[in-house]
Amino acid sequence: MVDNVISAKNINKVYGSGKIKAQVLFDINLDVERNSFTALIGPSGSGKSTLLNCLALLDPPTSGSIVIDGKEQAGKDVNSLSKFRNDRIGFVFQFHYLLPEFTALENILIPYNIRHGKAPANIVKEAERLMERIGILGEKHKYQGEMSGGQQQRVSIARALINKPALIFADEPTGNLDTETGGAVLSLMKEINAENNSALVMVTHDRDIALQSDRVVELVNGRIWRSINLKTAGFQGAEKQLENRSCYT
Amino acid sequence: MFRSYEWMIALRFLKKGKGQTVLIILGIAMGVAVQFFLSSLMSGLQTSLVDRTVGAAPHITVLPADSLPGYVSGAQKASSDSRNPIYSEKTEILSWQQYPEDLKKDGAIKSISPAVNGSGFIERGGVTVPVILKGVTDEGLKLYKIPGNIIAGKAELSGDSALFGKKIADRLSLSAGDKLNLKNERGEQIFVQVNGVFDIGSEAGNGLVFLSLDRARSFLRVGGVSSIEVQVVDVFAADKIAKRYAKGYTRVKFESWQSKNRELLQALSAQSSSTNTILFFVIISISLGIASVLGIAAVQKQRQLGILKAMGTSNVSAAKIFIYQGFALGLLGSFLGVLAGLALGYMFVNFAGVNFGFDFSAGMIITPVILACLASTLASLIPARKAAGLSPIEVIRNG
Repeated sequence: MVDNVISAKNINKVYGSGKIKAQVLFDINLDVERNSFTALIGPSGSGKSTLLNCLALLDPPTSGSIVIDGKEQAGKDVNSLSKFRNDRIGFVFQFHYLLPEFTALENILIPYNIRHGKAPANIVKEAERLMERIGILGEKHKYQGEMSGGQQQRVSIARALINKPALIFADEPTGNLDTETGGAVLSLMKEINAENNSALVMVTHDRDIALQSDRVVELVNGRIWRSINLKTAGFQGAEKQLENRSCYT
Repeated sequence: MFRSYEWMIALRFLKKGKGQTVLIILGIAMGVAVQFFLSSLMSGLQTSLVDRTVGAAPHITVLPADSLPGYVSGAQKASSDSRNPIYSEKTEILSWQQYPEDLKKDGAIKSISPAVNGSGFIERGGVTVPVILKGVTDEGLKLYKIPGNIIAGKAELSGDSALFGKKIADRLSLSAGDKLNLKNERGEQIFVQVNGVFDIGSEAGNGLVFLSLDRARSFLRVGGVSSIEVQVVDVFAADKIAKRYAKGYTRVKFESWQSKNRELLQALSAQSSSTNTILFFVIISISLGIASVLGIAAVQKQRQLGILKAMGTSNVSAAKIFIYQGFALGLLGSFLGVLAGLALGYMFVNFAGVNFGFDFSAGMIITPVILACLASTLASLIPARKAAGLSPIEVIRNG
């Protein structure tokens, strides 16, 4: 039996009100399996980031149902969603979004602080182990401005993992990095995702990155155009299906 | 509160925005310094004025129920109204001993002294000078601060001795040891010896002649006493205490110093009101400054707030981050403000050549600190509300 961590049904998202309305998502149905890597691809304006934000409970859908870990999340109040995000979801964004007032180590501990207050020594050790694992332990006392883009993104990955979330959402995490650093960051995310048995949902423009996932979901004009399961289609089959979509690269 | 992550973030935001933080703390400090300095100064001035008015005078005067207001307190009414009979039974408290007995049980009362008041004349060198006579006990001399203010002779009353105020002594060229004739209004006369001359600072006080209580009673033909003079621990509570006792006694009335000094009190009250008005506007301007600076900070920190909210910070916690900043600014600013106020007060008293003290109490330190913390915390509610209402998706979507 398939173990879905997310089950989204008939997701619609409309911005604006009255006469000025823009519908961005149309009846999206999407399931995400536990311990999987799903890539959301599509041209600019296709609604992939909006879908990611809806699934990550950052932006409520206009209609539809989002069930995470068997619990309906659509319609819950802001504070319940905040608590749920802190407990169950990790985020990695294209622009890192570290807090410039805090050091790398302190940034990583913030999701823990939000949940429990001051971090005890064992959690600080855990954060340091994570930093070592992703190769930034030497930067633990550095502030955002003192680190390279790749280092900042690694800090944001460690921050997403500190509360051991069931779900990690990443919106073009390698978009601002050079190819080599981007590749290293992606490998790291995949490794840790597998180790933690969590589900990774990533928005990307990069076909090569998408081809490293378990499943590619392609959105066009706010609708799921196709979904390619790499386990059944195989790498070459998927590559062939995506090759005419060179505009995404 | 101080171990919460909201507090940690609030402090870090303040630390990282050093320029803004220092400016706003200085603003609060100046406001608190002005507040503390003004209230201490006004308190010093008021204490000095009140001390000069009633420091060496009774705070409450117990009088016969039907005597005319103010008549018996000869110290304040230098010329007794000749239309009023001085020796009338109506102006005496005959069974007076019970009152000191009752009053001395009250912890709010500092000293009690029976007194006999009247007027007389002194003839010397062909000059006749009217004088206010006051018969008192040793306690009464202390009430008028005579022992500490003797400028010639000694502060003792016995038999035929009398103590003269500087004004009378100067006018009649009296010195300790002199003997003179003292007449009452009936024309009866006695010889008295000048035992001492005192200077208690006030014009009315220095116009008095003190006799021993018993001598004054026989000379002025008063069977009981004219009044019982009372000093209380808290000068400003005198009116309240007088009113409290007035309810329990029908044969006498209790007159407080406040009821005889309405104009002074009105002036002090007007002064307090104007000081409070200034302080009120100082607080308002501090609050507006804090609200405006924190409001800007809330806009500047939108990105950070957005990401904190994405990671699970609730609306209440986002608001707390700004409320705590307001509180911390208020606390730090007011602490510095009190120090600055103390320094300002010290310099004012020592270098500005004023003739009154700088009077402050714990309340005068605590009040501006509490007000500043309260005002800055309240002012931070505006940015806090903004922070609470911020949607993380706005920040994430707009980069």
